[in-house]
Amino acid sequence: MNNFNEVEEGMISVMHSEHCSYKSSRPILKAFSQIKSKRVLIGLEQDAGVVDIGDGYVVVFKIESHNHPSSIEPFHGAATGIGGIIRDILCMGVRPILLLDPLRFGSLEKPHNRWLMKEVVGGIVNYGNCSGIPTLGGDIEFDESFDTNCLVNVACVGVGKVENIKPSQVKDVGDLLILVGTTGRDGIHGVTFASRVITEESEADRPAVQIGDPFAKKVLIEATLEAIETGFVNGLKDLGGGGLTCATSEMAGAAEKGVEIHLEKVPLREENLSPYEIMISESQERMLFCVAPSGKEAISKILDKYNLSYACIGHVTDTGRVLVFNNGTKVADLPAKLLSDPPVIHRTSSKPKIREISTSNVYAADLPILIEKKLYSLLESGNIASRRWIYTHYDHEVGVRTILKPNVCDVAVLRILGTKKAIAVKSFGNSVQTYLSPYDGAAGAVAEACRYVASVGAKPVAMSNCCNYGSPENPEVFWEFSESVRGMVDACKVLDTPCTGGNVSFYNEDEENGIIIKPSPVVVILGVLEDQTKAVSMNFKNPDDSIIAIGNTVTRLDLQREKKTIDMIVELIDKRLLTASIPCSRGGLGVSVAKMCISGDVSALIRIPLIPSYDHMNEYELLFDESHSRFMVSASEDNTAEIIKFTKQKEIPARIIGKTNNSQELAFVGNFSNTLDTIRFHLPDLKEKWEKTFPSMLG
Amino acid sequence: MKFLVETIIENLPLARNPEGETILRELVHRGGYKDLVSDVRSGKYLRFTVEADHSNEAKEIIFDLCNKLRIFNPIVHKFTISKVEKL
Repeated sequence: MNNFNEVEEGMISVMHSEHCSYKSSRPILKAFSQIKSKRVLIGLEQDAGVVDIGDGYVVVFKIESHNHPSSIEPFHGAATGIGGIIRDILCMGVRPILLLDPLRFGSLEKPHNRWLMKEVVGGIVNYGNCSGIPTLGGDIEFDESFDTNCLVNVACVGVGKVENIKPSQVKDVGDLLILVGTTGRDGIHGVTFASRVITEESEADRPAVQIGDPFAKKVLIEATLEAIETGFVNGLKDLGGGGLTCATSEMAGAAEKGVEIHLEKVPLREENLSPYEIMISESQERMLFCVAPSGKEAISKILDKYNLSYACIGHVTDTGRVLVFNNGTKVADLPAKLLSDPPVIHRTSSKPKIREISTSNVYAADLPILIEKKLYSLLESGNIASRRWIYTHYDHEVGVRTILKPNVCDVAVLRILGTKKAIAVKSFGNSVQTYLSPYDGAAGAVAEACRYVASVGAKPVAMSNCCNYGSPENPEVFWEFSESVRGMVDACKVLDTPCTGGNVSFYNEDEENGIIIKPSPVVVILGVLEDQTKAVSMNFKNPDDSIIAIGNTVTRLDLQREKKTIDMIVELIDKRLLTASIPCSRGGLGVSVAKMCISGDVSALIRIPLIPSYDHMNEYELLFDESHSRFMVSASEDNTAEIIKFTKQKEIPARIIGKTNNSQELAFVGNFSNTLDTIRFHLPDLKEKWEKTFPSMLG
Repeated sequence: MKFLVETIIENLPLARNPEGETILRELVHRGGYKDLVSDVRSGKYLRFTVEADHSNEAKEIIFDLCNKLRIFNPIVHKFTISKVEKL
């Protein structure tokens, strides 16, 4: 048995934690690495995936979780979550240009959940808006299983030139390690540690979550990007979970090199930090640069200009070890690989009993009334209602890249400055579907996110995911996790969206009442639009446009069909044939049409029996079924014939099911009890219902 | 009787305080007070006018109110009632 000292034990314990090591999830996540793509320059091995979008530009993106801190301190928890994901993108050498925030809360009927949501949104506003990065394209879901464990996932997208991409690893022996930012005790609160070093009194003075500084982050972003431009930076990594231990050992381990660092040189924010504290502190807004010795002066000049605290704390060696000194005394000496490549645990999984949710039969005679009630209640429900209250808090325009605003598009569509291209990004997850069938729910989330991205005209090219589950030690939870990964892998394979990285968050469960969150894989899909002027939003633009339903209403997800449909929509938009487009998502076709009408302030008449379907379905089912692989689009009368011809060539069912008009009425014509009847909705009423949910709950 | 209750909400003593740090660095130290001033903490100050029978009751009402309505979160904030005064 090796004898480790206190500092070494601390370093090992941090790096072998589930959070840093992925020890339970790695054996399962391995399956993602079988999907390859020429576009993916750096895949799963680094902090964030790098995707080639052509013209010399790359996109870096990743999603992460900050669930536990946000559940106890929603404002700072959410804010520092964003701080962390921005650093992950920045450390690859690109400028962060977009934030997305997938959120999950319990019912807003409960005051605690309202407090959580308000504060989380506040934290995102505080950090996102101040750091000069727009927030849009996220998603939100409500379910009672998130009552005590809300989920705050954060995704960031960066853009840069291919030559500026920096790996998170050291390069040459003798390179200098420059640590930027100050280290304090603010990130230390491990249980083992608290009992040993800090007294209980001082523990009461310590916050359980960190407090971020978005303006400092903005300065760090600019300084980092300028430093990279000098050409002297050979690699860099952010300091997040695991702090200096993680940054040094992973940078050394990835390059099969070693590092030697001197802790007395680390810029401190407080006095008397022990070597143990310095090695595991998770203070925010820090970055570790590996710099060629000849570039020391140039880099220092830039860091001085931005008024940042920094110091050269050590250098790269060829020993393969992380060697730590404090005032000349050796305090730790460990192989980098021991820290960066911890062993895995093979967890057992077992399939739980069949899960069902109750559904009731509907009778033909009641259909018109049921449909009327259902459309209103769907539009009002938290999972569907207008997200206006949320996105109006966010700065979704800063950076002048935003092409489609969130009131007319659920997808983030951003121009890539200096090119004709745009990127489209969307996060999506469906916990209820994943709870009922983890495989189908997770595969469906990939498909649905791809569909969103395709609906604006972008071709889906890569995926990142955040897997949120209960304890992996529970075999049923581990089964949910394994099955959802299998679902995502299968979907990514067919849809040609390789996974470029992500994050796993386990232990999202309440010890007191035993409630485990519904399995919640959240998927982020990146799409590329070759011509930014072709992007299409969801709002109806003109009266007298044809409304076309594309794809069959059929219960099961068929990935091959999904792929064909997505490719076809992208082609239709590329030919400039569509005036509006939306994927059929939550609430089915009925809700999709309502959203197109409301966002465009254009009304429509829909003939329900014309909606394409394989199975015999009644009017209610045709309107609200949440089948995959379907889009609702509109087109000018002149282009309609060409669209229908094109869909026939591609063998995808499509039919004109109605027309837009100026009547201020959304009308559905159906065949109820063998008589034709029309259900009418006054458009301003629908809009009011759709928009009032969050303002009335959250004020 | 009416009482004036003054409260201070600030980040816990060992928590970071970006606003105070920025004031210290960019205003105080740059302004020539580096030798004299070593720390600035920023926080929130709320003054309540409350109906109560005696000052302790006024204090309790305000503490409960701030706690229940999450005007502060004990996980990150230090909450102090700095003054209770009969009006």
